[in-house]
Amino acid sequence: MAADERESVTLENVACCICGGVDGTPVGVGEDFEYHTTSHSFLAVRCPRCELIYLDPRPTPASLPVIYPDEYHAFAFDEEQFGLVHKVRSRLEARRLLRAGRGLPADAHVLDVGCGDGFHLDLLRQHGPKGWQLHGVDTDARAVAAARGRGLDVEEQPVETSALAPGSIDFALCIQTIEHVGDPVAILRAIGKLLKPGGRLYLITDNTGSPDFKITKGRHWGGYHFPRHWNLFNKASMRKLAEAADLEVAKLSTTTSPVNWTYSVRNTLVDWNAPSWMVNRFSLKAAPALAAFTAFDTAFTVIGRGALLRVILRRPQ
Amino acid sequence: MSTSTPPVIVLGGGIAGLLAAHELGRNGVAAEVYEAGPRIAGMAASHTDADGFSYDVGAHFVTNRFMAALGMRANCRVLPRYGEVVHLSAKKHPVYPIGLLGVPRFVRSAVWEKVRRPKRDLSVAADRFRHDYGRKLADEVALPLLEAWSGLPADQLSASVIDKIPTGLAQTIWLRMAQRMTKRAVMIGYCKEEPSATGVFHVYPDGGIAAICQHVADGLAQPVQVGQPAEKIYTDGERVVGVRIAGRDIETNTVISTLPINRLTQLIEGSDRLDRFRRFQFRGLVLVNLKLTGRELLPDVIVWTPHGFPYFRVTEAPMAMPWIAPVDKTMILCEFGAQPGDEVWAMTDEEAVERCVSTLDPLIPDVRSRLLGASVLRQPLGYPVFALDYEPDRAALAAEGTGIAGLHSVGRNGEFDHILMEDTFWRLRRRIPAIARDHHRCSVVASSIEGVHNEHSTA
Ligand SMILES: Cc1cc2nc3c(=O)[nH]c(=O)nc-3n(C[C@H](O)[C@H](O)[C@H](O)COP(=O)(O)OP(=O)(O)OC[C@H]3O[C@@H](n4cnc5c(N)ncnc54)[C@H](O)[C@@H]3O)c2cc1C
Ligand SMILES: [Zn+2]
Repeated sequence: MAADERESVTLENVACCICGGVDGTPVGVGEDFEYHTTSHSFLAVRCPRCELIYLDPRPTPASLPVIYPDEYHAFAFDEEQFGLVHKVRSRLEARRLLRAGRGLPADAHVLDVGCGDGFHLDLLRQHGPKGWQLHGVDTDARAVAAARGRGLDVEEQPVETSALAPGSIDFALCIQTIEHVGDPVAILRAIGKLLKPGGRLYLITDNTGSPDFKITKGRHWGGYHFPRHWNLFNKASMRKLAEAADLEVAKLSTTTSPVNWTYSVRNTLVDWNAPSWMVNRFSLKAAPALAAFTAFDTAFTVIGRGALLRVILRRPQ
Repeated sequence: MSTSTPPVIVLGGGIAGLLAAHELGRNGVAAEVYEAGPRIAGMAASHTDADGFSYDVGAHFVTNRFMAALGMRANCRVLPRYGEVVHLSAKKHPVYPIGLLGVPRFVRSAVWEKVRRPKRDLSVAADRFRHDYGRKLADEVALPLLEAWSGLPADQLSASVIDKIPTGLAQTIWLRMAQRMTKRAVMIGYCKEEPSATGVFHVYPDGGIAAICQHVADGLAQPVQVGQPAEKIYTDGERVVGVRIAGRDIETNTVISTLPINRLTQLIEGSDRLDRFRRFQFRGLVLVNLKLTGRELLPDVIVWTPHGFPYFRVTEAPMAMPWIAPVDKTMILCEFGAQPGDEVWAMTDEEAVERCVSTLDPLIPDVRSRLLGASVLRQPLGYPVFALDYEPDRAALAAEGTGIAGLHSVGRNGEFDHILMEDTFWRLRRRIPAIARDHHRCSVVASSIEGVHNEHSTA
């Protein structure tokens, strides 16, 4: 990336997206260890009332093209590059999704908010009931193009302005999206409007109640993903978020992921100038590390402290 | 008067005043900042001289955490090192604080102090230091330093000067290890409000410390008004009702002052609640900056000199910030505790420089032949003195504030506390929301300035 592009990241102060407070206290400070898109450092703060962890200050919307470079993995998690890991992940994710969608009608309308390149919709198309109507929204033109390339019905829109009919959706997905957006309450409200009364939202996001957060929150936690994760939740702040968005919490649990553990270690090594052979042992392509951390995190998931929050919210009847 | 909420009036355009206005803005309250002098920054001023040396007022250190919070970390460089040692003799410079554990007589006396019957009353600094560190370490190192920058004997000082959050021994060792591994000047016990961590280290902004103030000022909705001294603060006995700035009366129900607390008391009209803070004393500093040829002349960035020197601390900032002096040149800062009117304060610049050059020998033997030039700065507000004499009033100020609703005294001089800029920042961030809410609630000013005026002219 050119130097002048790096400097084009501008920052703005923000409030807690749940309570509007501006008195967050510092929890961690770090850099873009993964993509090095900017020379800024970022401060993660905790809202003393909501326990929300958020970046303050954070990049302005105008800086988004810089902090999401072309090589960003959300648009490039394809099969050739990630081989075995991709297969394992697909199988696991499909199982989880279908379990969450159990009991839906045969002609259910399903919406993936922040669908990226259509990875999850594609899984549902392959493994789910054939009668399901699949929709997606995403704001990134490159992602939408990729999803449409797979033959999926995707709008290039924020969900707030989606053309879908209010009250038409049975089941919404919001998978590792909420942490990237500036106003999670607005997104959840918008999803709530699109849901049928009693309709469900299946939400996955990084868990700040996890042990890897506790250990590495000062700087290297993988879940910070500096500066792209703007709002990060634990169970308490997730409940507050749901309340602010007028949604009911149907289920609040955690699930296993090796990604944050892997990146927490990797970021530490990168930051402490470890040799590259060591750094490379910890990446999304490093099957041994991913396997080991999956096993490890599974143990924490059993006691409700897994790496990801797994939430089912419901629009009140 | 108009129906909209009047702005909060902020007195002083140093870092505390600017940060207060910044936080008020984030809380949805307009602020007007008035600075008496011709420019902003106050004690956080910087300049670069014709020979390419840059100075701040003394040596200033800030962290990546503070700079990230202000969104200016991208304009900072990381300090490759930072360290403090204590000068015990020409050969002995144990690292502060852990190296002192390598001095057997200190350890012996500290252990002895622990096994001896514990002392009940530790409210006096001298007792507390001897109890905490042992008599030898206290008497040879801690108390002489304390007395130098306080200007009072340690038995007349309050024990509250001791830091609230001391960094534990194990943590200090761990942080020093991280410093080695990361080649970054990891902060060890510098900030009081927020803890040390391996990821919190010293950085330095391009353009010097003053750039921080400029950055915050640039982000304010309204420019700071310079050359506008506050002259009076009107109260109705309970609450602030207005201020006089440069001869002009302004109604407001909230004032945030960054003035030295003993100066603030003199501006209050309509209440004597702040009179008890009038006795508070600040210790002055005479800061002598020597420009020398060479680099890395001291055993570490900061050398504490409890004995045998007329100054209490010697700093070679370019060891930590190589870019603030030209290549192969350096700056040595000698800090004298002093009081306006005393003999040290009254030295001419030449005398002050000579006093440094003639005494630095044990640290820099050939200092005289290295000397390129010097500058001398006299800072009357060096340290708030925690005298026992007024300790209850100091504690009351810290716990309850000024005692006048709507009048908030903040910053190092306003709070009368040994705090750094970052401490001021976190304290303001915690305090301002309540101040802003209170300001909203009271936006209908109860008593007019005229009312107070009349009361006073008849009194
Ligand atoms: C030698 C030394 C070294 C230091 N090192 C560090 C360090 O390493 N790190 C760190 O973080 N901090 C350090 N500090 C502390 C730091 O400099 C201060 O905490 C900070 O600059 C104080 O800012 P302030 O705004 O509270 O006060 P000031 O900077 O004093 O600002 C107050 C302002 O109010 C103005 N004023 C006065 N009277 C009036 C009036 N009547 N009306 C209007 N305006 C008025 C003054 O002109 C001044 O500009 C150091 C201080 C010293 C002395
Ligand atoms: Zn909040």
